[in-house]
Amino acid sequence: MEKMNKQKRLGIYKKMYIREKTNIKIMKIILCILLLFVLSGCFGGREINDLEIVIGMGVDKDENTGKILITAQIVKEQSAEKTVGGGGEDSKAFWNVSSTGDSIFDAVRQITHKTGNRLFVSHNQAVIFGNEVVTEGLQEYLDFFLRAHEMRPTALILVAEDRALDIMDAKPETEKFPAINIAKLVKTYGFTSHFYKVNMKDFASSLMSGTTAPVAPLVRISDDRECKDVYVSGMGVFKKGKMVGKLNDEEVRGLLWVLGKVKSGVIIVPAPSGQGSAVLEIMNAKSKVIPEIKDGKIVMNVKIRQESSLSEQTTSENLATISAFEKLQKAQEEIIRQEIMKAFDKSRELNADIFGFGEMLHKKYNNQWKSLKDNWDDIYPTIELNIDVETKILKTDLLKKPVLPGEGEK
Amino acid sequence: MFRYILKKIRYLSLKNKNMFQDTMPEKSNSVPLVPELRKNLETIKGILRGSSDVTMHEFNFGHDRRFRGALVFINSMVDKEEIHKNILQPLMYDVLLLRNGVELDFTNIDTVRKNLIPITDNLKVTLLDDLMDNLLAGAVILLIDGSEEALVINLRKRESRSIEEPGTEAVVRGPREGFIENVNVNITLIRRKIKHPYLCVEKFVIGEKSKTDVYVIYLKNVANPKLIEEIRRRLSRIKIDAVLESGYIEQFIEDAPYSIFPTISNSEKPDKVVAKILEGRAAILADGTPFALVVPMVFIESFQSVEDYYARPFLASIMRLIRFLSYIISTLGPAIYVALTVFHQELIPTQLLISIAEGRERVPFPAILEASLMMFTFDILREAGVRLPKPVGQTVGIVGALVLGQASVEAGLISPIMVIVVSSTAIASFAVPAQTDSGTILRYIYLALAGIAGGFGVIMGLLATLIHLASLRSFGTPYLWPIAPLNLSALKDVFIRMPLWSMSKRPEAIIWDDGDSFSKSPGLMPSPCEKDNHDSD
Repeated sequence: MEKMNKQKRLGIYKKMYIREKTNIKIMKIILCILLLFVLSGCFGGREINDLEIVIGMGVDKDENTGKILITAQIVKEQSAEKTVGGGGEDSKAFWNVSSTGDSIFDAVRQITHKTGNRLFVSHNQAVIFGNEVVTEGLQEYLDFFLRAHEMRPTALILVAEDRALDIMDAKPETEKFPAINIAKLVKTYGFTSHFYKVNMKDFASSLMSGTTAPVAPLVRISDDRECKDVYVSGMGVFKKGKMVGKLNDEEVRGLLWVLGKVKSGVIIVPAPSGQGSAVLEIMNAKSKVIPEIKDGKIVMNVKIRQESSLSEQTTSENLATISAFEKLQKAQEEIIRQEIMKAFDKSRELNADIFGFGEMLHKKYNNQWKSLKDNWDDIYPTIELNIDVETKILKTDLLKKPVLPGEGEK
Repeated sequence: MFRYILKKIRYLSLKNKNMFQDTMPEKSNSVPLVPELRKNLETIKGILRGSSDVTMHEFNFGHDRRFRGALVFINSMVDKEEIHKNILQPLMYDVLLLRNGVELDFTNIDTVRKNLIPITDNLKVTLLDDLMDNLLAGAVILLIDGSEEALVINLRKRESRSIEEPGTEAVVRGPREGFIENVNVNITLIRRKIKHPYLCVEKFVIGEKSKTDVYVIYLKNVANPKLIEEIRRRLSRIKIDAVLESGYIEQFIEDAPYSIFPTISNSEKPDKVVAKILEGRAAILADGTPFALVVPMVFIESFQSVEDYYARPFLASIMRLIRFLSYIISTLGPAIYVALTVFHQELIPTQLLISIAEGRERVPFPAILEASLMMFTFDILREAGVRLPKPVGQTVGIVGALVLGQASVEAGLISPIMVIVVSSTAIASFAVPAQTDSGTILRYIYLALAGIAGGFGVIMGLLATLIHLASLRSFGTPYLWPIAPLNLSALKDVFIRMPLWSMSKRPEAIIWDDGDSFSKSPGLMPSPCEKDNHDSD
């Protein structure tokens, strides 16, 4: 009897011990959860109110000190509260804040003296480099934009004709923010194919290839009227990180024909009769480049397949005939060929491989490439281009014949 | 400190248990009746302690009035007209119509029952305990001097609501009848829909004091016998004072009492319950409540509505997907908003981020506090709106929605986007009525996690929820069935609702696979004529 009691009591003690142990375990878990609340700052949460949202950045050289001048375009959140102020003329939705420094990161951190908060650059749309910077060499400035973890490699890269600061100051008419406006302009390059969008990643990868010359769209301010409009046109050609020349609209399209990046655009062809002209819209374009080494000579076979439609005509003859179409197609082919040759001539003149022919050769003639690579600058001007263009006019849009007086009576 | 508190709690609980035991009635009623009428009446009177609504009517009956009997009943629970017409009259007057030569011994209860009582619902009892149970349930007790038995005659008069459309589960298309408080009517409603001999109704009496009738209804040969055995086991284990609602039973028999997810479904609609019985589930009906419990429950049942099956499958499928989406919105909406705006601003499209930033410009609180404030306000509004009488409830709605919502935005306390997020969350939470409870709790949990650790926290919470859901079982059926464990043929009725003719199998996880019940009907795609039918194969 005594023994049983003792055993029973021991059992109770054991049970109590286990229960206590589980209690301590629960306490520990609760403590951990409570600690989570205390430590919440460590996970990097930031309220939107504390952010300075950067939508565009400009890089210039300071005229006086020669240091780097960084301009960050920051969203001004107060702008939405139109009720507070009277809605004055100069109420801008953005704030261009500049700072100088010895390096870009240094300058970016210097900006906090003015903003009070760290810049939030994840939404940076475009980086604009001033003319002075690009002629001196872009290479050293790119590093920060690719290294900083908040930066997006998809931010667009642009080259200002003069100072980046001025371009970021020009307030667009329909958009609230200049940087977003510029990004929009660049992204809609397809309407003309007179420039194309280049982002940080593209630029850096062609820069790193060694032979390919990176290009970047040029942005400038038109001064023809009172209001200053920002427009993008043409592209700057870089060699070894420095801008060595510029491509005009036609040359850029020549480049894009070869790269297969033409989306749309307008080709004006003289009418077969010689009077007036036909305006063709590019519907679709494909390209294929086959490098070939023949007897030590490098020939690039460029094949272009293009389809277009008749969008406008200024001549009175009826162009919707097979014979007219054939003539137009011929003329169109010639224009495309000329554009490509212009671009190629320019690149030969600058000795900059904007087409990336070097990389194409590298892929096909891996063995020979080793010897070609070292004196590519000498080889590039000797490359021959064999252009084969085939075009097709698909339709005449809504009209079957031109709008002429008296035509409707038939 | 904690140990002290725990000790105190444990001590108190022990003390309470002791007190509870003190008040338990001593189990001494299981004594047999005695032949002396007077003694029996004395005993009954003693047990009832002189309740004023108990009538004990003594009378003499038989040809020559030589037998003495007594009727015992509770005034308010019986129909007196019926007593006069169907008990007293036959015993006292109709007996005279019997031929004089027949000498019947009316001290034998069986003789009385067979010859004089024109009521089918009667029962012979010998124990005082049974007698009392029936008396208190509303039966009339006939005691006869010289008999050791008593006759229980059920003449219950019962007020019950008429059958109405249930308020909780309104439908556009489908039967509008709903269960009521009277369990017998409820059983009738089910019986009328399944006219098959396999339909079994088992009775239990639960509640020390309330002695509530609880019925388990299932289809034999379709329902798994193990399931029914488990229900019986769990029901007979319940020891409580009273069952006032089927929710009492639910809380005593559910698989995971600490889980926020319900493992027993309930419904007010007979058609819904019948559909589930036909799938091999069992319904538990308790007297006094219009809500029937159905076991086992799987998670996706919450997203199925009866109307999905009554309407054609196309819109029904879309609505079901919308229900899934609503549940996700209602649990994760504020959490994702907070995680994005506080931790992952880079994931928000630039233009949207700018408008959010402009909206939040004057808000002095951190986003998590802003969100909890709004959600809290909404929950207060909802709770107040449910309890208040209808006209006042509308006022609360207007005050809440217009005044609070608009004014707090204009005052700069809450950002307009937060109002949109919380109100869309609130609306979405009503799309899945069965999971409103779990959704509301999860919403706060996810919000807290989002505030602490952003998207990482939300994902952690989601994973924890998923693990928990996968671990749940309802009466042996995995809670996430047929998603986990995966059952392809049952997936026809999960995210989309396939046509009825293509769903020819009962749910495998629930039914008894030894039975002949696997196939509901030969799945026949409707076709205009036999030839077409052949082609469509």
